Parts: sequence; C-alpha cells; structure tokens
Amino acid sequence: MTTAPSQSSLAAALARGLKSPAGITILLSVVAAVLAAIDNGFYIIVNTIVTGGMWALVAMGLALVFGVMNIVSFVHGEFFMIGGLTAYFTFEPFTDYLMDNPNPMAEAFLPILAMLASIVAGIVVGVLCELIVFRPLRNRCRDQWVMNSFVITLGLSTFVVNSSQFIFGTDFRGIVSYWDYPTLSFFDVYISFDRFAVFVLAILVLGSFWVFMKTSKFGQAIRAVSQDETGARMVGININGIQTLTLALSSALAALAGACLLFMYPAYPTVGMGPLYNSWFIVILAGMGNVVGAVVGAFIVALLQVLTTVYFGEGWDYTIPAACIILVLIIRPSGIFGSEVRGVLDQ
Amino acid sequence: MRKVLDALCLTPLGLCALVLLLVMPFIPPFNQEYLIRWMVVGLFMAAQAVAFDFTGGYINIVNFGFAAFVGLGAYTSGILCARFGLSPWIGMFAGILPAALVGFLTGILTLRLRGIFAAVMAWFIGLAFWGLATKLVFLTEGPLGLNCPTLLETSSNLPYFYIIFVMFMITYVVLKRMVRSNMGLAFTAIGQNMEAARTSGINPTRYRIINFTVSCAFAGWLGGFYAHYYGILMPDVMHTAKTIEVLVIVYIGGRASLWGGALIAIPFVFAMEMVRSVFAEYPGLNLIFYGLFLIVIMIYYPGGVAHLYEVLVERFRKPSSSRQPQTGGKIL
Repeated sequence: MTTAPSQSSLAAALARGLKSPAGITILLSVVAAVLAAIDNGFYIIVNTIVTGGMWALVAMGLALVFGVMNIVSFVHGEFFMIGGLTAYFTFEPFTDYLMDNPNPMAEAFLPILAMLASIVAGIVVGVLCELIVFRPLRNRCRDQWVMNSFVITLGLSTFVVNSSQFIFGTDFRGIVSYWDYPTLSFFDVYISFDRFAVFVLAILVLGSFWVFMKTSKFGQAIRAVSQDETGARMVGININGIQTLTLALSSALAALAGACLLFMYPAYPTVGMGPLYNSWFIVILAGMGNVVGAVVGAFIVALLQVLTTVYFGEGWDYTIPAACIILVLIIRPSGIFGSEVRGVLDQ
Repeated sequence: MRKVLDALCLTPLGLCALVLLLVMPFIPPFNQEYLIRWMVVGLFMAAQAVAFDFTGGYINIVNFGFAAFVGLGAYTSGILCARFGLSPWIGMFAGILPAALVGFLTGILTLRLRGIFAAVMAWFIGLAFWGLATKLVFLTEGPLGLNCPTLLETSSNLPYFYIIFVMFMITYVVLKRMVRSNMGLAFTAIGQNMEAARTSGINPTRYRIINFTVSCAFAGWLGGFYAHYYGILMPDVMHTAKTIEVLVIVYIGGRASLWGGALIAIPFVFAMEMVRSVFAEYPGLNLIFYGLFLIVIMIYYPGGVAHLYEVLVERFRKPSSSRQPQTGGKIL
C-alpha cells in the first residue's frame, strides 16, 4: 500500500471500504454526529472526540490483553482506578506545597509527574498480576483457558475493589483541575484546558504506541505472539516475557487514562466499572482483540454515549449502548472490523 | 429404601446431612431468629448455586448475567403481585416464564458460538436489565425499592426455611436427574470437548440451549422466592456482584457436581455473615475473601470441595476395590 494508487483504484477501494460493515458503521456514525451537531450544537462533536480519545486508551489495553494473552479481562477497570488513586496521591500533597510557595513552572509540570507516577503504578500492578495470578494458572493448566482466566479476573477485580475500599475508604478522591489555565474555545464551544491537554496527550500516546507496535522489536514480538503463539515460541520469542510486557503495557495505559480523567472521574473503589463497561462495548464493537479497531470503536461508543445523554437523559448511558452492542453481537459476533485473533475463537 | 434414595439422587450420607439440616432450626444455638434467617439465605444461595453449576459446570459456560435472570423472575413476580394483586404463590411461578424466555433467546443467539460469547452477552443483557430496573421507575420504583407482598403474613423465618428447603430440593433433584440422564452425558461431553462431542453425533447448540434455558428458568423461579421473602426489590438484585457471590460458592464447592456448591453454601454464608458482623466497621471485608478464595481455588485446587471428597473416598476404598468413583459423586 506504499505505492500511490491511481485515482480510479483509490475510488474503487474507497467504495469497497464503504460497503463493508466497518465502512457502513463509520459512515452512519459520522452522519449521526453531524445531524446531532446541527440539531444541538457543535459541542457534541467536541465532547465525542475528547472522551473518545480516553476510551481509546483504555479499550486498546483491553484489546491487547485479549489478543495476546487470550484473557477476557474483568479487572481492567481496576487498573483505571489504581491510576486515578496514584495520580491523586501524587498531585494533592504537591499542590498543597505549591499553594504556599507558588512556582508556575512546577505547577505546569506537576500533572505530568502525577501521570508518570500512575504509569509506573500501572506497570507494577500489571507485572504483579501476571506473576502472582496468571502465570501460575497458565502453568497449571491451559484447558478451558479463556473461561478460567475470565473467572480469575473476576476474583481479582472483587479483591482489588474491596481492598481499595478497605484501605482508602469510600471517599471520592478527585481534583477540580490539573492546570488552572483559562478555558479554550473552538467554534463557539468552550472546552477546559484540562480536557484539551488530556486529549492531546491521548493522541500522543496512541501515536507512540502505534510506532512501538509497528517498529520496535518488542512490538513485533507482541504481534507475533498474538498471531500464533506456537510459531512465536519456535522462532525463539520468550513467551512469558512478552505476556508480562503485554499486561504491564495494557495496565499502564488504563492507569494513565485513570490519571488523566481524574478531574471527571474522582477515584473511589468502584470507579473502574464505567470504563470497564465502556471498553468492553468498544472491544466487542470493533472485534475482539483488534487493537486498531478499538481506537475507531472508542469514538463510535463515545458518540453513542454523548447522544444517549443528550436525547435520553442521564442514567441511560449504559443501557442503550449495551442494547446496541447486543445487536452487534447478534448480527456480527466478530465485530465490525472482524477479529484478528484466531486463538480466541478456537478455545 | 435404596430405590427412593436413588430416585432422589442421594447417598445415605447426603440424606443424613439433609435430615440434620431439617432439624437444625430446633437445635439450641441455631434456633435464634437471625441464625434461621442466615440459613434461609444459605439455602437460597445453595439453590442458586445448583442452577448455576448446571450451566457453568457441565457445558462450561459461565452465565455471567445469572443475577439478572434471578432479578427478572423477582421483578416479574413482584410487579404482578404488587400492581395486579396476583397471589405471590402464583407470581413465583410466573417469574419462570420471562427468565426462561430471555435465556432461550440469549442461547439461540450466542450458543452456536464459542462459550465466551454467551458469557459476555449474558453479562451485557444483565447490565441492560439492571439499567432498565433502575430507570423504569413507573414500573419498578427504581432504587427506592418495589414493595412486594410476602408469601406469608408472619414475621417468623421458620416457614420460609421450609419453603426454600423444598424449592432447593426440587431444583437439586430435577437438575441432578437431568444430569444423570443421557442428556447429561451429552452436556458433559460438550463441556469437556466440543469438537469430540460434535464428531460423535451430538448437536452441541441444541443441548447447550436446552441447558441454558433450564438453568435460567430455575433462576427466575428462585427470584420469585427472593421477591416475596424480603418483600422489597431493588435493582441491585441484578448486579454483577450478586452473580459473583453465587460463582464463588460454586467454584469453592466444586464445579460439575451440583452438590458441592450446595454443601458449601450454608457454612459459607455463615462465615461471611460472621466476618461482616465482627468487622462491622469495615464493610466489604467479606468481599475481599470472596476474591481471594476465587483466585486461590482457580489456581491451586480447581476441583473444589467436591473433588476433595472424591479423592478422600477413593483413598478410603482403595484396598477393597479399584473401581473409579463416579464423576460428580452424589452425596447430597
């Protein structure tokens, strides 16, 4: 696809793409977004894009774990929660300190520090989960792996949520904003600096993640394992290492999202449920294990939720997407982009 | 005598346990009202565990929306009785219909695929119903709770204990007999290796749908008891956390035995209630144990208590005979 195709073949490819389920869905969502924007204001599109960027981070990690390790993860939302908690406990003490000794430079960089801390926390938790839980299970038996690992993530999730409640209580630990800068405006839509910065960050992370997966040795190894584990083992890839890396990466992504969205989703024990449901909607919509599809799916689900909140009111924003996803499962169980992962469907 | 026991799928040991359970509410430490209440809850969990294990253990599909099917039965019955003045005794059976129907539809749509699709789909259906129960306030009163008439006009828990005991026995005997029939063989075959089952002429989709629907129907029926025992219904009865409680009991008790989960349910409920009352200032501590138990059981002892019992029996019998004990023994 590197050589420039001629005008007509490009048009033909485009037409073919538009007729595929993915093309139809994307087209329909764009039309819906435009119509809603005309009807209700441009802010719908801005909201969709900003929240979609964050859900993409969370869903991508879920898709990755699913593709490489064949784990239907229920614990992903808890990584989000851990990220939020870490960011809160990094950010708050320093803000108090900065209140007394103002320093604009430090104020600008403190949120970045909090996000880095949450990434580190995510990596640590991911590696621990792999070493303590998933590896022993894998070593014991690989029969019925998909179902067994799913049940074990349930146990992990229950454990983490309630331990967090035990240690930190049920308080909402949130912040008002990371950066105390004036609000930006695009096309008469006002958007806080935080949301904008977080969106830019999400795009940066998505971009660098893509480069990592495509070019680096580790990224290639991860893709190799997701395509064919036995084959990857044969060419000398350290499967255990790659699986640890995968879980660490995916939990770091979720933790980063948790830190970034701290001003919208204050950290409390069960905060992970919402992101978990969302990322599951996304992953099923896009096709299980399809990482690139998850990014596109994230924006579609974000749009679906924005529209639901606008036209049906608060509180419907899980029921209606869930109903739509059930429809997707009925019509195309492998998702609109199709699943890249063979192993999952075979087990 | 032997024939009767066999028809009820009991071993002599299981019969003793049941008789002990029946007289338990009169034995001194257990004759207090709140302990009888715990036993009612325990038996309710036991019956749910049997219905859950019927799917999870045999055809190896974790019905992740199990609580939603229980809740569907509960809400159907509760709404019919509270709004239309139906008798709770009939309402309980009316709850079977929607639960079985939704289970059947879910099954038709997903059970031709790999098991995980059915699990995830059931989860989403559960989520959707949970959302509906919260939002359709004119029908369900939402989070405020729907007041349902109770089965009996008594504040004593003892009659309820015997009602749920009978319901539990019916659930157990019906499902156990299904499992022991030829159909049960097909279930086990599908659960162990679907391809092999297909090759030997079993239509996996058909059997899985039958299994799933029956399990959901029982869930709906038990939901009816829930509604008319507590007298108040909140959307949280459909929450995933409720499914996890049942799931933990089934996995600790031992999958694919039916009796394992039932055996463990009452002691487990007692232990958790004690943890909850001793550490009242730390709500959720018992749930930490749920999570830990589930992880440890999954990694280190996937057979659960049922398997442990079989191993012990085998060791006990070893000198006299080399006969393999039947899989999924039938103590209870």
